[in-house]
Amino acid sequence: MTTARGVLPFRLRLPLRAPWQLMAGGIIVAILVALALFSFFAPPADATRGSLLLRFRAPGTPGLLLGSDQLGRSLGSRALSGLPWSIGIASVATGIALLLGTTLGVLGAFYGGRVRAAVGLAVDTVIAFPALVLAVTVIAVIGRGFWPIAITLGLSTWPIAARVARAAALGILARDYVTAAKLLGVGPIAILLTHVLPALLPVLLVMAAFIFADMLILESALSFLGLGPPLSTPSWGNMLADSRQFLTQAPWMMLVPAGCIVVAVVGLNLLGDGLAARTQARMTGMP
Amino acid sequence: MGQWFVAPILAPLSRRLVELLVLLFCVTTLLFFLVRLAGDPAVIMAGEGASQQDVAAIRQFYGFDQPLILQYVHYLARLARLDFGQSISNGLPALRMVIERLPATLLLAIAAIAMTAAIAVPLGAWLGARAERPARRGAATLVFIAQGIPGYVVGLLLIQLFAVELGWLPSIGDETRVSWILPTLTLAAFLVPKLTRVVATSVSESMNEDYVRTAAALGLSDAAILWRHVLPNAVLAATALLGTQFAYLFSGALTTEVIFAWPGLGRLLVNSVQVLDFPVVQASVFVVGALVFAVNALTDIALRLIDPRLRRSAA
Repeated sequence: MTTARGVLPFRLRLPLRAPWQLMAGGIIVAILVALALFSFFAPPADATRGSLLLRFRAPGTPGLLLGSDQLGRSLGSRALSGLPWSIGIASVATGIALLLGTTLGVLGAFYGGRVRAAVGLAVDTVIAFPALVLAVTVIAVIGRGFWPIAITLGLSTWPIAARVARAAALGILARDYVTAAKLLGVGPIAILLTHVLPALLPVLLVMAAFIFADMLILESALSFLGLGPPLSTPSWGNMLADSRQFLTQAPWMMLVPAGCIVVAVVGLNLLGDGLAARTQARMTGMP
Repeated sequence: MGQWFVAPILAPLSRRLVELLVLLFCVTTLLFFLVRLAGDPAVIMAGEGASQQDVAAIRQFYGFDQPLILQYVHYLARLARLDFGQSISNGLPALRMVIERLPATLLLAIAAIAMTAAIAVPLGAWLGARAERPARRGAATLVFIAQGIPGYVVGLLLIQLFAVELGWLPSIGDETRVSWILPTLTLAAFLVPKLTRVVATSVSESMNEDYVRTAAALGLSDAAILWRHVLPNAVLAATALLGTQFAYLFSGALTTEVIFAWPGLGRLLVNSVQVLDFPVVQASVFVVGALVFAVNALTDIALRLIDPRLRRSAA
């Protein structure tokens, strides 16, 4: 307990009395990350190679826990090997959105006048445009691939982070200790780094969970539309797109990736909600 | 009526207009330079396996052999005249193709918003009115979990259930009236959980307000309090959410239209993007931007018409 209190500016006592959302979400996310790491370092072989003798097997077939697809590939292995791709993209995209959004949001809150007006205009403008339309267009032009997709997703969602960070920073800047620091002659950068940013951390954590969930959905939607990873890489969105031709024969081809997405997103939303309840972070401006 | 009434209602429009212009300028500029960064646009537009002459002809026709800055000025000048050129796939004027697809998308969006309101407002009011009761807390958790299900996954599940298993409803196209049901439900699924939560929060907050306690003390029935004093506030919150979430709804229209082979703007954009039909992509992006602007402006006006407080603060 004391170590956690020393490092973090708020108390993060996890087990026992934590809200159930935090527990459930934390467990789901931890399992997903562990599976992603496992699958990244030891990719399952039968994800891309199947046996035509084992096509369209229903879940529960010996050796094929979650069934197989039109080429006899194990759906469980495919879902597993799609995980590093999805988690990787969502991580990078969330990182970019948080970094850019927090920086601009805090600057907009700290400096009034033209800076605030410019940040506000940029936020309102980008937020008004459908993120998927932007992502689809840009990725079609610059090409598919890990980095183009991750960066595009991050750049199309930063305004959400900026809006929340700005609202939270305005609240923090109005606190007495910040005024005291200003009166004592502490410089703007020092105030932002030592007073505003640490107090902002709970909000950032909560926001990270929610944005991460959004990124997973956007990434799978892109894959579903044929703008995700190359077809040789199984991703949840690719699997869903594949399944559409075989809905009558093999509904599990759709249900397995759909279930994966839902569990991951719900897990992250629970984690975000639990963190918000735990740290009492106010999420003004979060849609 | 007169100036003091109209001016505050129209006040937010000028800011929205600035946003629209900034947005269209940035997006079109981004597209212009991205296309040129990605490689020789003439080669991209000619497609795979095009002959040397074809590429040269396209390069000359679109002016890709001129200096970049000159191309950019011409490009902006053409956009200002709403001239997006012709589709590469079929030679039709790009903007006309987009406009022709617009009604299908708009009608689907309106149907979905109506469906969203019809589900989310009563559900949210029920959840929020006595938020502390266990059954409603359980239901609120279900709504929270439902928020984690991507709308297009809902669409696939609906097809699986109603079109494949039960065979009750068609899964593609917009020819018959029943074929509207599944796409409308799918698109509504993007916003129902969000709107339900917003209405529930607004209702449960209003329930603790002084005016509700006063009304109860004066002997008004629960139903009367809900209808006259609590729901109007929730409708305000709902309208505001629909305005801010229209862009999100349009993202949803992209996947929904692809799933149901809906002849709308979303599917046109996805198809054009896949074959790199840039004139159509540009016209689509332009129209989407204008559409989002129009919806946001209408929401601003609607909110000010419903809520006198906003009129006063804007004046």
